[in-house]
Amino acid sequence: MTTIAPGRQPESVLVRRPGPEELHPVRTHRRRRALELSLAVAVPLVLVLWWQLAADQRWIDARVYPAPSTILSDGWDRAAAGDLWPDVWATLKRVLAGYAIGTAAGYALGLLMGSLPLIRAALEPLLDALYVVPKLALLPVFLNMFGLGEGPQVALVAATVFFFVWISTMSAVIAIPSGHLDAGRVFGASPWQMFRHVLLPASLPSVLVGARIAAGVAVLVIVASEQIAASNGLGHLIFDSRALFQNDVMFVGIVCVAVLGVLFSELVRILGRLLTPWAPRDRGRGQS
Amino acid sequence: MRRHAYGRAYGLVAAVAALLASAACSSTPYSDDAGAPAGTGGRTIRPVDGCGKSSWTDPADLATDRLPARCMPLAPGPQPLAKTRKLTIATGTLSAEYVAPLEVALDKGEFEKEGLDVTLKVLPTPDALPLLAKGDIDALWAAPEAAVMNGIKGGFDIKWVAGNFSPAPKSKSGLWARLKDGETAAQVRLAGRSLGTMIGKGSVIAYPMEKTLERHGGGLDKIQYRQLGSADVLTALQNGGVDSAWLLDPIWRKVDGRPGYAFLGGQPLGEPLGGMLYGRSLLHDDVDAGVALLRAYLRTVNTYFASDYKQDAGFVGYLAKLLKTDEAVLESTPSLRMDWEIREGTTTRLQSAYRAQGVATGDALPESKTVDRSLYEEAVGHVP
Repeated sequence: MTTIAPGRQPESVLVRRPGPEELHPVRTHRRRRALELSLAVAVPLVLVLWWQLAADQRWIDARVYPAPSTILSDGWDRAAAGDLWPDVWATLKRVLAGYAIGTAAGYALGLLMGSLPLIRAALEPLLDALYVVPKLALLPVFLNMFGLGEGPQVALVAATVFFFVWISTMSAVIAIPSGHLDAGRVFGASPWQMFRHVLLPASLPSVLVGARIAAGVAVLVIVASEQIAASNGLGHLIFDSRALFQNDVMFVGIVCVAVLGVLFSELVRILGRLLTPWAPRDRGRGQS
Repeated sequence: MRRHAYGRAYGLVAAVAALLASAACSSTPYSDDAGAPAGTGGRTIRPVDGCGKSSWTDPADLATDRLPARCMPLAPGPQPLAKTRKLTIATGTLSAEYVAPLEVALDKGEFEKEGLDVTLKVLPTPDALPLLAKGDIDALWAAPEAAVMNGIKGGFDIKWVAGNFSPAPKSKSGLWARLKDGETAAQVRLAGRSLGTMIGKGSVIAYPMEKTLERHGGGLDKIQYRQLGSADVLTALQNGGVDSAWLLDPIWRKVDGRPGYAFLGGQPLGEPLGGMLYGRSLLHDDVDAGVALLRAYLRTVNTYFASDYKQDAGFVGYLAKLLKTDEAVLESTPSLRMDWEIREGTTTRLQSAYRAQGVATGDALPESKTVDRSLYEEAVGHVP
């Protein structure tokens, strides 16, 4: 709290009394954490409860927007009967394969283009142009190239992920202070040592941020793609059940996609923490 | 200050919880349609000029050479409603030939004569179903697809009230197979082989597909079903990507008569698989408007589509303009046999095919829950 001390005219002294952070730092921090966690849990919970209530009270048409309890029960039944897992597994396989290819290619090209200005000059305009093309628009091209099957789906995820990782890697490498590179050269570092001890540690934190964003987008893209050119997967499940007016099944698919996206993104974040202990800690959601 | 902030946040959560609790006491606007009173029961049916014995056929008659019900041209005559009624009909497309009776009725003012202000709206069936059930749209020009059956099972009051067409005997729209060396159409066996189609699972075409496949050692549960884009189905059949394909009008003309291809079967003759679906607004709330809409449709069929309407080149040109399609494409296929009646057991057979396709579970819905013939019967003055 800030007050002006009385009786000292014409000069005024600004006095700041210690706040709870200073007086009870541990307790205040704990309380703050408790509030943030409560909000993180309570807001979705309240929304779900509201949805359930709206369905139970028939403020919304539960045949079109099934109640969360119906979705949960249907999802459980499908999972127990083994009907859900083939679709989850099909989507997961495509996402993982495309993500691995896209990340590896994006990182390699980002390193190369960040390190070698001539290669950057040659490829950057072309890749910038391709970056702005909606990746789903490339699906017909991939269908022609790879035919029916897993190829087009994996290629689409790889192409999406590639650009996120490429841009973050290239900009991270370009941003490495020249002093770090000079130090490497002065110590006579070989190209491998330069990569291992300078480029990798300097670029990895930014790359992992790009990779984390790409994880979410990869799930988003595969769901859209499976609607068009797949005979299984969560995207196929969602749009197939929509066409058959099985709204409860459609919502099961949507929930599965949301869970898959969150888990995958969190996995990449945890992996990032383990791989880059020197980087400023990504504190994640709800942690100030 | 901070403590106040925490207090406000907790207060907000408490307020939301209180709001939830209080809202629990409110009204209930959505309810199941099941149990709604029958709309056409007890209505007075009078004979209709121009609609005699030939205006109704026994639904149990499944003969492939059955002549579709017909009245005289311009019959049944209009019976304008006391007050103009706005109606919205959803349809998946405006350019397909089977939509022509509705577009001609609109263009020739047949709906207006009944006191109806009709709007055709393009909307896919799954999107249209909840709107139809809620009364936001009044009718759906589609088919009793698996989605419709699932909607009815879910409690929507939707019924199939009139048919649309059955194919001409000369039509070869249907299942085509690539023949192996020395193989004839009768020898084709499709179990374990692939079938390319642009028609999604749960379409009414599942029924003729199943029927044709069964004749050739297959079945929807025994073949590899490959859904392809409209442009890819023929290509896939021609380059061997699929062993068989369901070819629609006029695509089948490209392989008709060419060696190495055989037509195995199509939509059953004399049995319409689609048409008009009504929701509760026309089934229960305003049955007069429901009958008037069908009367205008039936009159259009009797006046313009009674027989082989493609014999008249001028009419084909008119249709091509109305449907915004190529005249040559229309001329390349035989006339559809427009048929407003619904055969007995069609929805049962459809549901059986949906089950074979793996898109329906549980008991089949009885016809009383899916079909209502009383509106077109009233329009032609037939007393059941």
